[in-house]
Amino acid sequence: MTDTRQFGDLATQLIAESRRSTLTDTLLKYNDNLVRSIIREQRDLEKMTENNQNVTPAMLIYQTTIVRNKRCLLAYHKHRMDRLRDMYWTAGGALPHILSNQDIRSKLSPHEVDFLRQYSTSVMDYRAGFSNELDITASITHPPKDLHVLVHVIRDCGIIQTELGTIDFQKGQRFMVRRADIEHLIVQGYLEEV
Amino acid sequence: MVFLPPPHLASASRPAYAEAYANILVAHRRSPLTSASSVIILVAPDVDALCAAKILAELLKQDDVMHRIIPVSGLADLERMKDELVTYAELHTLILLNMGAILDLSSENWFGQFSMKLTVHIIDSNRPQNLANMFAGGENGERFVVWDDGEAENMGEERKAWEALTYEPEPDSDEDSELDDQDEVQSNEDDDPDDGEEFSERGPSGKRRSLGDGDRSQEKRRKLDDSTRLSREQRDAYHELIAKYYGSGSWYGQSASATMYILATVLERVDCDFLWLAILGLTFQYTTARISRDTYDKYHSIYYDEVFRLNPLPPDVAANTTDAITAMSPDDLSVRAAEELRFMLFRHWTLYDAMYHSSYVAGKLGIWKERGRKRLTGLLAKMGFSIPQTQQPYAHMDLDLKHQLRAKLDSIAPEYGLVELTYPSFARCFGYRASPLSAADAVEAVGALLDVAGGIRMEVEVEGARHGGEWFGGGRLWEGGRNGEEKREKRIEVGSRQKDGDDDVDTDVNGEERKERTWWVKNFWAAYDALSDIVPLRDALSLAMSLHRAIIRQGTSIIDKQDIRTMRSHRVVVLSKGPDLALFAHPGVLARLGLWLVDALRDRLPGTKIGGLKGRGKKSLPFVVACLNERTQTYVVVGIMGALDFGDVRRNEFGLAFIEAKQRCNARSRHSTFDASVLEIEQEDLKLFLETLCEVGEGY
Repeated sequence: MTDTRQFGDLATQLIAESRRSTLTDTLLKYNDNLVRSIIREQRDLEKMTENNQNVTPAMLIYQTTIVRNKRCLLAYHKHRMDRLRDMYWTAGGALPHILSNQDIRSKLSPHEVDFLRQYSTSVMDYRAGFSNELDITASITHPPKDLHVLVHVIRDCGIIQTELGTIDFQKGQRFMVRRADIEHLIVQGYLEEV
Repeated sequence: MVFLPPPHLASASRPAYAEAYANILVAHRRSPLTSASSVIILVAPDVDALCAAKILAELLKQDDVMHRIIPVSGLADLERMKDELVTYAELHTLILLNMGAILDLSSENWFGQFSMKLTVHIIDSNRPQNLANMFAGGENGERFVVWDDGEAENMGEERKAWEALTYEPEPDSDEDSELDDQDEVQSNEDDDPDDGEEFSERGPSGKRRSLGDGDRSQEKRRKLDDSTRLSREQRDAYHELIAKYYGSGSWYGQSASATMYILATVLERVDCDFLWLAILGLTFQYTTARISRDTYDKYHSIYYDEVFRLNPLPPDVAANTTDAITAMSPDDLSVRAAEELRFMLFRHWTLYDAMYHSSYVAGKLGIWKERGRKRLTGLLAKMGFSIPQTQQPYAHMDLDLKHQLRAKLDSIAPEYGLVELTYPSFARCFGYRASPLSAADAVEAVGALLDVAGGIRMEVEVEGARHGGEWFGGGRLWEGGRNGEEKREKRIEVGSRQKDGDDDVDTDVNGEERKERTWWVKNFWAAYDALSDIVPLRDALSLAMSLHRAIIRQGTSIIDKQDIRTMRSHRVVVLSKGPDLALFAHPGVLARLGLWLVDALRDRLPGTKIGGLKGRGKKSLPFVVACLNERTQTYVVVGIMGALDFGDVRRNEFGLAFIEAKQRCNARSRHSTFDASVLEIEQEDLKLFLETLCEVGEGY
């Protein structure tokens, strides 16, 4: 039986998925199938409008649908890009950390991975210019009150080289260290501030 | 190894605490490139060490010294830690809290191999201390610094004996060098110095005097430039002195938190928090029968003055009334002096329960029998408390009853033989967040967290759930160690695995041990955090209550079933079945049970003379409690030397007795904590071990 559907139905499903992603605050898997079927639908619609030059109501409907599909696709991709960008910043710019995490990685499409990589490169280039004065990838939610911070090790992160020497973080111990050195570890979840 | 006199005995030539601390700072600041992991603090798992660690960490934090705190559970753990620490090239300060005093730290087994720039500070309340730690000098010796509490001044005799024995010159030597010019130090406690060790040449200084034994009248006092050798009698006398020092059992000196508090005082940086922590350390020592009432009073008076110095009361509130222990304002975090009743956690329980669960009352009234319980209700009735009132949680009792409580107790309790019901103590207000907490209760809560915060299923009671309260089923499971996880749940999803404990879920034996170690470490940090945060501390009170309930259950069943066997002079209790067996497999909990039994049976059992050289020992109640650990098929054995009078303490000789018995019967056992009187022994060897132990006791 043929798959009779309303025009723009698939696009609505795509938007519903974006909405679900916002409401549950998670990143869902990139819905490649849905996107491809929408693109197929676009092509079919375009074929139908090709030959006819007259402005008939049917043409109007096709045109509206095409425009709507395009808008929904763009909205979906933009939504995902925004989420990825937020994730990147909350992780403190540690791209390998995000990409090596399998459950995140499996949800991204290859293009999104490329996007993340290029974005990260841009940020790094930008940041390198003034990294002596300001580190923009450090967390901004809590301004640091103290030069040193007491941290509790949640997960082993091994031996970390800092400006002041090497520190061997082991699980179950507490350290008092310079904040600047280990900020990225706190953001990534290896250490916990006490 | 030198010992530091406390500040009041210090002088220009004898550096005290402040100088040692300043040295730590200097060493840290002098090497900015390697300061990241240069100061390490090793902490033993008891409340006193926790308090001291907190004070020290705060002091270091204020000085911007980067440090690291590592919990260590026992000698085996310390060895493992030492092996790891050898690899740290940047380490220059190591601080041991409540551990290591008895170990000879400069020997090859311990820290003798470490680099020369390492300084080891030993702040330990355990006595006896290794004399080599205290008195050996020299370059190697200067690395180990023992923070002493003034007792070393009284150890002049032991010092001479030790020096004479270790620095015994070869027969023809003529040298006379000062103590401080030593190049090599040998490190033996009381082994015979003729054992082929390296010697440094040194003649006896003129300070040495004979020990006044009649046999040595042949020996005359030598002059400085005579080459002398120790006569056999003199050497024997010295040996005996040193053996007596080590052999008289173990006792406790000044608490580590008191040492830290004195340091803070010298640095003029005390505040209420430090004072509270020091008070907790002292109360811990007293409530676990580590120090006698006199010692407690001595330190108490010091803290009493400090409390009034730091927390002046407004003029219209008289001190020492129950009204004084209320928070004045929402930010009131001050410490007040208060009289503490000997009832366990009585401000958080019903009055009846508090009296029922306190070991002192239990002993005097005989709570384990029905008759005793009737006596208890009778006592309460005589004091004018109706039964419903005594079954109310303390907070809901009538106000006037609360005020009268102490007065009534003083007048009526002596009829039942309860005389020393109060002792002076302190309480701390927490603003409006919680009702004021007394020091003893806080110690109970922290101790309970240390022992059983995680790793064991504990049911705690929900208030109001008794007698079929709102929710049927009066208990809920204790959720210890979980509070850190909620904070982490809020973290981003990137790279955060929600359950950290699942990292080491293994199925092999090593995995079990590691899991156990993980739980222990978690408990440690839960207790550490609770010291400064009232919310987990208050929650831990219910945990402490259920712990006490378990102890009472077990204790009363032991006494009821007459499970206490008397082997020659020791009383022995062996627990091999029961509902709470897993709980009592922890040495801390088992020790509490032992203390409860000692208190409860103090008046009913005759004391026995045990120990002491030449049979001159004082009468005491030696108790040995053993519990089966089903998982590892071993018995955990704890030895307690109870004193006959309440408030007195005896030196605990079980450490040495255990070691000797272990050697004699070749039992497979190990000491898993820093306390030598706690032993873990294979199941099959227990009976033989116990018999050997009693022989050892007799053999003195």
